Amino acid sequence: MNRYVIKFEKNGYVKYTSHLDLLRIFKRSFKKTGFALQYSQGFNPHPKMGFAQPLSLGYSSRCELIEFETIKFHEPEDILNKMSIAMPEGLKLVSCTAFNTSTKSLAAEADSAVYQVWIPISHDISQEELETMIKDYVNQPEIVAMKRQKKTKKLAPVNIQKQIRNIKGKVEAAEDGNHILCLTMLLDCGSASNLSPELVISTFCSFAGIDTPRYEIEVERFQLNFVNNLQF
Amino acid sequence: MREIDKLNQLLKRVEKPGRYIGGEIHSVKKDIDSVQSRFAFAFPDVYEIGMSYLGLQILYKALNDRHSIYCERVFAPASDMENLMREEGLPLFTLETKTPVKELDAVGFTLQYEMSYTNILNMLDLAQIPLLVSERGEDWPLIMAGGPCAFNPEPLADFIDVFLIGDGEETLPAVLELYGQMKREGKSRQDFYHEACKIDGVYIPSLYDVEYKEDGTIKKLCKLYDDAPLPVRRAICPDIETLPFPINPVIPTVEAVHDRSVVEMFRGCSRGCRFCQAGMIYRPVRERKKDTVFHLAMEQLRNTGNDELSLLSLSTSDYSQFEPLAMELMEACKKENVSLSLPSLRIDQFAFKVLNKIQEYRKSGLTYAPEAGTQRLRDVINKGVTESDIYTSIEQAIDLGWNHIKLYFMIGLPTETDQDLDGIAEIAKNIIELNYKLNGRKGGRFRVTVSVSNFVPKADTPFQWEGQNSAKEFARKHDYLSARLKTKGITFNYHDNATSVYEAVFARGDRRCGKLLLAAFQNGCKFDGWSEHFNQAGWEKAFVDSQIDPAFYTERKRSFDEIFPWDMIDCGISKDFLQKEAERAYEEVTTKDCRHGCVACGINRYANCQMEGIYE
Repeated sequence: MNRYVIKFEKNGYVKYTSHLDLLRIFKRSFKKTGFALQYSQGFNPHPKMGFAQPLSLGYSSRCELIEFETIKFHEPEDILNKMSIAMPEGLKLVSCTAFNTSTKSLAAEADSAVYQVWIPISHDISQEELETMIKDYVNQPEIVAMKRQKKTKKLAPVNIQKQIRNIKGKVEAAEDGNHILCLTMLLDCGSASNLSPELVISTFCSFAGIDTPRYEIEVERFQLNFVNNLQF
Repeated sequence: MREIDKLNQLLKRVEKPGRYIGGEIHSVKKDIDSVQSRFAFAFPDVYEIGMSYLGLQILYKALNDRHSIYCERVFAPASDMENLMREEGLPLFTLETKTPVKELDAVGFTLQYEMSYTNILNMLDLAQIPLLVSERGEDWPLIMAGGPCAFNPEPLADFIDVFLIGDGEETLPAVLELYGQMKREGKSRQDFYHEACKIDGVYIPSLYDVEYKEDGTIKKLCKLYDDAPLPVRRAICPDIETLPFPINPVIPTVEAVHDRSVVEMFRGCSRGCRFCQAGMIYRPVRERKKDTVFHLAMEQLRNTGNDELSLLSLSTSDYSQFEPLAMELMEACKKENVSLSLPSLRIDQFAFKVLNKIQEYRKSGLTYAPEAGTQRLRDVINKGVTESDIYTSIEQAIDLGWNHIKLYFMIGLPTETDQDLDGIAEIAKNIIELNYKLNGRKGGRFRVTVSVSNFVPKADTPFQWEGQNSAKEFARKHDYLSARLKTKGITFNYHDNATSVYEAVFARGDRRCGKLLLAAFQNGCKFDGWSEHFNQAGWEKAFVDSQIDPAFYTERKRSFDEIFPWDMIDCGISKDFLQKEAERAYEEVTTKDCRHGCVACGINRYANCQMEGIYE
């Protein structure tokens, strides 16, 4: 089995490239570079290739992972170099690792993720005030967010309190003299339990009385953690 | 707030933000201080459509291959993005550098379809550029346009500074370089116009004027500058083999309508269908060599990782080396796991051999375009297809396992009667019967789709003098056909009538139609080709506001001595030939493909006809 993981960063406007479009970009690059992918068996064969965890449209990332299987063995360095040439602006391939230790997919092994969230606010706030605010937020007996249900497509209340592992905050100065709340959050992220940062952002903002529109808030995925301490 | 930040926020609020970000593989980045002319190629529709257009990729390469020019791209934003851009005051920007379009030296719109004209005005408006030539001073970018609809440029004369007629690969860079140079030398816009109008294919409406008769027809076309040519001769590249062709096309990030590699086999068509504008304005037939087509295809596939290849031309099977090329490509594509598609294939023995191979696993549907329902009318339009051609090919298709036949027809063709419509229904029914005959009474799952479009008379065709059916008459004919096509297994599709009429107004419109277009834009019309955006009330009001009677442009039959707005342009085909063809149409006499001998269309005055008489 020739299994590999490519780690890449998503910076700048390329963050507005959707999950599906990104899959197409990789599929095309594999075709172009001639690294023939292994196909699944069965009635509707598809290339063995997938992201460890999908990333929401509009998020940048330092730690995206795509895993794939090739028919023949190739030097990871060779894959990295050739694939790097054929990427859109802002999509930087960081490393390619041969990876034969586990049979499960990375998606099945993902456990948690660290996100950085920048929320610009127009009022004054001290570092202590922010820390207290975060503490009070996470220590609520339950944090109820409205989440769209997969099957019914309806919004339903869910308690996300137990899926938040940790939140740290820092007040930063913005260029225009206002403040930016920089939150670093460690959230469940995997097949067993998965929490979207969107739900934390909306509940935190309403808890803290912040009315910054969502489109002014930036999110970046910093790190993806796996159950068996896999690291890339 | 900086506009870059503003854009970043806007993109979080729109659908498919990937349409507006640029940075695609093979998109070009240049140091803007190192170039002399900055140009935006403007496509008046959304990204997914514009990025499927080969002409964009060709000109993008032709321009960016030159160090002095930087060509960027801009598309029509979808409504959600447009609304936010207007709300936030963000001007229309280029994808490559996010520069406001109004800051560039020149902008060029491609005119593929008359119903995209409102989008051109909307894009200028979004770019915060005054719409009218008369309102723009020298500091605004040069607004240009080209493409098939530029063969009748007059309805856009109020808005466009410079039209490029004909092949753009050489003219466009030449004009941009001249403009950059004269601008640097401090020459005025007028000086530039006087120089540029000497280049073949350059039509500058402000150097000309039109006088009208009392009945509204044209009395005289005149020049306002002595050295301006009248008519303006279309630019023709005599040899397309040497023209730049993109082997590294920009790869759209958001999936385009056609996400595939495309190679142009040849330009022009020698068949001479009398309704077809493309068949006239791209003459003479100019081919790329077989090996060139093959290598361009392979290189493009290698550079893009596309898994589909298509060949482009007006009539695939007319390529002189089609059989060997098709065999070579089929083999190579099979090896590379690439699917090959061959559009507008004439259905003959060889085509079946090819289609059967490439569609082995997916006999999706066979498309056939008889265009008219009776032999008489097919002779009138000079569509060289006979009844037996149709049934022989379709019988063979059914025999080989195709179970969906798509038929294309036009209605409202000159001399058409209800018998010709009956003919359409008859063909569809005969095909159903043919299937019963071959596959038994149950016939399996078999479908015939009949698609009918409304005939729009176009400039520079033998039917340029014809009256178009009224919307009411089209509707009657649709009903007539509907009633006759209510048979199991037949699906009947037809085209919206109002857009056909508006399209026809601009297809043969004059300068006065500029007022109509402006009014339509002001009434909120845009994306007129999209049924969900089409605003008929806005258009109806625009006709009233501008006091334009559509029937004057559409239903009125012209006399042979009428001066046309598009007589400003010499498309290369002589008016005598077009008239002779019109007369032969009334006599129901066909004209041979000029591969069987010259038919005197006039193009050989300007270019060498490679294909003339090759079948003789």
